[in-house]
Amino acid sequence: MTADKERIILFYERRGAAVWLAHLDMMRLFERSLARADWPLSWTEDAFNPRPELVFALPVGLGIETRRDPLEVTLALDGQALDPDRALLCLNHSFPAGVRVVDWKEGKAGSQSLMARVTAARYRLEAEGIGAAFRQTFAGGPVEVVRQQKKKRTVVDLAPRILSFEEDGEDRVSFTAGAGSSGHLRLDLLLDALVLHGGLNRNAAQGARLVRLFVFLDGEPA
Amino acid sequence: MNRFEQPSYRALLRGVRKPARYTGGELHAVDKSDSFFNYDPDRRVHFALCFPDLYEIGMSNLAIQILYAILNRDSHTFCERCFAPDFDMRARLRENRLALTSLETGTALADFDMVGMSLHYELAYTAVLEMLDLGGIPLFSSLRSQEDPIVIAGGPIACNLEPMAPFFDAILLGEGEEALPEIVDALKRKKREGQTRQEFLASIAAITGVYIPSFYEVDYLEDGRVGRIAPVHAAAPPRIEKRLVADLNKAAVPLRPLVPNIELVHDRMVMEVLRGCARGCRFCQAGFAYRPLRERDRDTLVETAGHLIRNTGYEEMGLLSLSTTDYSQLENLVRALLPMTEPRHINLSLPSLRLDAFDFELAKEIARTRRAGLTFAPEAGTQRLRDVVNKNITEEDMMEAARSAFLNGWDRLKLYFMLGLPTETDQDVEGIIVLVRKLIALWDDLPRESRSKRLRVTVSSSYFIPKPFTPFQWSKQITVEEMAAKQEQLAHGLRDRRVSFSWNAFESAELEAVLSRGDRRLAAVIHQAWEAGSYLDAWYEHFDASRWQAALELIPGGASFYTRARPLEEIFPWDHLHVGVTKEFLRGEWEKSGRGETSPSCYDCCSVCGCQDYGAGLCPGGGTRDSG
Repeated sequence: MTADKERIILFYERRGAAVWLAHLDMMRLFERSLARADWPLSWTEDAFNPRPELVFALPVGLGIETRRDPLEVTLALDGQALDPDRALLCLNHSFPAGVRVVDWKEGKAGSQSLMARVTAARYRLEAEGIGAAFRQTFAGGPVEVVRQQKKKRTVVDLAPRILSFEEDGEDRVSFTAGAGSSGHLRLDLLLDALVLHGGLNRNAAQGARLVRLFVFLDGEPA
Repeated sequence: MNRFEQPSYRALLRGVRKPARYTGGELHAVDKSDSFFNYDPDRRVHFALCFPDLYEIGMSNLAIQILYAILNRDSHTFCERCFAPDFDMRARLRENRLALTSLETGTALADFDMVGMSLHYELAYTAVLEMLDLGGIPLFSSLRSQEDPIVIAGGPIACNLEPMAPFFDAILLGEGEEALPEIVDALKRKKREGQTRQEFLASIAAITGVYIPSFYEVDYLEDGRVGRIAPVHAAAPPRIEKRLVADLNKAAVPLRPLVPNIELVHDRMVMEVLRGCARGCRFCQAGFAYRPLRERDRDTLVETAGHLIRNTGYEEMGLLSLSTTDYSQLENLVRALLPMTEPRHINLSLPSLRLDAFDFELAKEIARTRRAGLTFAPEAGTQRLRDVVNKNITEEDMMEAARSAFLNGWDRLKLYFMLGLPTETDQDVEGIIVLVRKLIALWDDLPRESRSKRLRVTVSSSYFIPKPFTPFQWSKQITVEEMAAKQEQLAHGLRDRRVSFSWNAFESAELEAVLSRGDRRLAAVIHQAWEAGSYLDAWYEHFDASRWQAALELIPGGASFYTRARPLEEIFPWDHLHVGVTKEFLRGEWEKSGRGETSPSCYDCCSVCGCQDYGAGLCPGGGTRDSG
């Protein structure tokens, strides 16, 4: 890659202790890891608080593992060439425990933000009895849960946000759900729905393993 | 299966705020599980380094970074960390009968060989008890069995831990870089040789800086004051000498510090440039206790900076000390650092700048990346009171510095004051208001084009607390009612839309004064307050004065026994400890303060405070003066 500014999309996984970081923590983690790996980052023009140009396709919720979540990095190459394999080797070496870039591809120049291109995401949930709970909850008809924000209380119907699901034994379900700027499925609301409507044990819900396997960009698995 | 794969652990983390406080996994965190537990148990030491406050506070502290790195250098020592759980996690641990565990491997505190508490403020005492209790360790040293860990404490307030004496097996007075590895080596010897706890404590009593509280007995007079402190064990020296690292350049610096994933109080790489202080402000315990003043070599600091930048990825770098503008090579250092920090968008920040050495060219260079506010700490509002305190800043200095700052674009001013200083009158408090108004008038009088648009002034006031090993250790503390009156006077006088005024809570200032000059009888008070639910007392929202008031009924005279003025002949609970400054010197300074007389700094001439006996740093023969 040679040009003045170039975009690269990184696909990252997070496991172990890193799963328990909030989205802002992950942004900070990537900024520092990229700095340690000496990546030639492009910085925003803000006079008071310039930041490296990083865009996550989706915010990553606390307690959710990822396997290949996209993250777009804008580089300021200034005519220099970047060897992606070597740069990635350095980057993977500089992460704290639990985070790793598993793949990459060249980003698209200009216009559309990575976030706007997200349409859906594929997940896997593991918890005792989750198969039956999912089946019962998404048997047909609306699935309503209350979303309590600080001063706002909304009722959300999750049914249209589950696009497909498969059971894999009693304690594991894989499913595709809406994600991104509209129709996004929040996993915390999903767990509430499974407890409320599907008879999932509350403790099992609290201890569930949540994995985002991949994201759909422009309707295709990325 | 590691703990992250267990549903019960996930459920625990999901139920609390900021679960990453408890998980570890940070960059440069050490995990020796693969090798360490295969070693002969008698040839290894498992050490829990604890800070009795939340993760975000403890991880902002350089001591934790330094000791963690030093102990983990040895393959046969595994040092893990543990911090105080927040209320939500604490409740879950208790509900589910789970022990408090370490971050790296999730080991219960009771399963360690040694637990070290790093203590920086007295209001952390109840958190110490809570951590020990949650960790499964008996609170009282005398009740610990041969299987329980050795509990040791250290840090800046180790110069008087008498109120906590019954809870600690050992205390390290002074600096830990060399002493702690020596103590750990002694622990390995203890295990190999099958020593009992008592035999071990006797063996480490010989290490300079180590104080075994149980080896001393304290007798009290009828009125409650200390009558006598005497050793009751053959291994106990009559006086405990602090541990000093004479050449600061020999004190290890972590080049791969832990880089937390969550937001801390201070998110930055730090370099300690100086230790101790030459100014002799009469209220300051740290300044006296960490004498002699010692500098780090400039070239080494520049090299260290390079490592930190490469190894952390932080966007801010801090130069730490008690008075950074006193660093003799500051300008050279900053000029060498700026070419390293600026291209990487790293902000260089210098806290605790002393007003009279403020160099604007330097400050402007530093501020190019991101400008912070201008900070002055006059402490007192009148020259008379500043002289009493020996804080050598004049009004002319402040006005001149402020004027230059304003003309160079600074528009935020922060001022620190201390209320309740010895001999303070209403006029002195009024002096604060007058000074602030003068600074604002200075701004207003400058032509609009020559300065920024809007001035913001923050005035921060705390309450004077008499501290051991300072000239003011004989002083009284004013009452809570007097604090409230002064604060009201100040708040009223500072009413201006450009001024924001922040102050500390009175009752916790009173408690701090009680604990700071306290004796062993307070252990029962601390224990009762803890049993009644006191925890994380340093946090305003968690501090409950009524619990402490009730507990202080155990002591005739209560809080006022400890906040009273002390007669010159009084035996202090800390008299058997020695940090360098002599009682004679401090008494001389106390008497001078009563006459409003100042004393020179160590830069001007040696005041023979007692630390010259160490022959280190800035003291005559110490080397710094000659090379500076």
